[in-house]
Amino acid sequence: MITRRHLLACTAAASLLATAGPWGRALAQAAVPAPEATAFVTRLGSALVGIIDGPGTYDDKKRRLQPLVEAAVDVEGLARFCLGRYQRTATPPQMQEFTQLFRAVLMNNIFGKIGEFQGVTFTPTTTIARDGGTQVGTLIKRPNQQPNTVQWVVAPIAGAPRIIDVVAEGVSLRLTQQSDYAAFLSRNNGDVSALIAAMRNQVGR
Amino acid sequence: MRLTIARLVRSVPLLALTWALTGALAGCATAPPLTDADATAEFRQNNDSIEPTNRFFYAVNDGLDTYLLRPVAVAYRYVPGVIRRPVHNMLSNLSSPITFANDVLQAKPRRAGDTMMRFLINSTAGIGGIFDVADDLGYKAHDTDFGVTLALWGAGEGPFLFLPIIGPSNPRDAGGFAGNILLDPLTYATFGGSNALRYSRLGVGAVDARERLLDPVDQVKRTALDPYATFRSLYRQNRQSEIDRTRSDDRATVPAWFR
Repeated sequence: MITRRHLLACTAAASLLATAGPWGRALAQAAVPAPEATAFVTRLGSALVGIIDGPGTYDDKKRRLQPLVEAAVDVEGLARFCLGRYQRTATPPQMQEFTQLFRAVLMNNIFGKIGEFQGVTFTPTTTIARDGGTQVGTLIKRPNQQPNTVQWVVAPIAGAPRIIDVVAEGVSLRLTQQSDYAAFLSRNNGDVSALIAAMRNQVGR
Repeated sequence: MRLTIARLVRSVPLLALTWALTGALAGCATAPPLTDADATAEFRQNNDSIEPTNRFFYAVNDGLDTYLLRPVAVAYRYVPGVIRRPVHNMLSNLSSPITFANDVLQAKPRRAGDTMMRFLINSTAGIGGIFDVADDLGYKAHDTDFGVTLALWGAGEGPFLFLPIIGPSNPRDAGGFAGNILLDPLTYATFGGSNALRYSRLGVGAVDARERLLDPVDQVKRTALDPYATFRSLYRQNRQSEIDRTRSDDRATVPAWFR
């Protein structure tokens, strides 16, 4: 019943808990054409792998990864998606602080994985159009690990392709994150400031 | 964590299940008022009508895991990979007959063929399943279980359940769990040492599976604000994707080299 797929999905999801981001359904714009989306993801992948496997200390790598990730991922849209229905009750300053903390948590999660992704290879498979984004399929191989299938959902944000979600072994990272925040908020009477406090605590660690 | 524990209980009778199901009736989640459309939508989407009971069993399993299974799995990691890998291969080989039966019941001849070839090749050339020779020959492994079979037969998932020992589940997957035990030839085996084999497979399987989950589970527990909800979401999305993947696997039965 619980199979290796679960392990893989869980690993992949957890290790990529970094890289998601949606505008969600709000996107009425044209989708990113498949070849363009594939090229975007491939370029991004090789740039990330180049830094991770390249020379330099952990801090160097972190400094060089940050702008790359910021430019490729629709962090603000992702933050909004993950807050879900609670963005309507959040005040503008809360929204701003939430987004800021969300970004910090996301970056921490990504940078925490630098060591683990040493020697990773990255092969595009098939790209398909889905509602809300173009899904670029990739096969990610790490030394001594089972390969993982990961879909990168790309949509045009402000005229440029951006990653709005990552689906690892069938698990959407933005949906998983959204359900985590939703569960936390519903157990805290929908109090966004409680969520912000918890996230501040997470970032502080 | 409990994600793994399913393996552990492969051959434990349905006692735990019955216990869980009766216990489960005790605590039901309170549905939000229908006037709150968003909250109602979320409640339906979570599909967790006995959430308080589920959370209770999550806490129980989490305790068992933290003090029992996880420490053993951490220790097992010190065993070198040259030993852990063959152990894992042998465990998968032992479960091939169950996978094969499910492939057939799902009417997936190509997958059934893959599983049968894997079992034949790995049991012989792979020396009792120690080496995964079949993988090199192009017969790739896949996992499946009777829960997926039930889904392909049209059964709905039913409400989310967090079962003692077993972990995240639902009525369909719980039925699948029982079905898997019934489909396992080892359940009926009575040769000398068959009990020893069953119990060691159970124990070693649990530790092997838990060891493979150490990093992801630790990560979820470290980063999630509500690990229970995160595991629930991961489990449900992953099951659905496994079902979809199986359903859409209609590769031709005749292998490419033959045509």
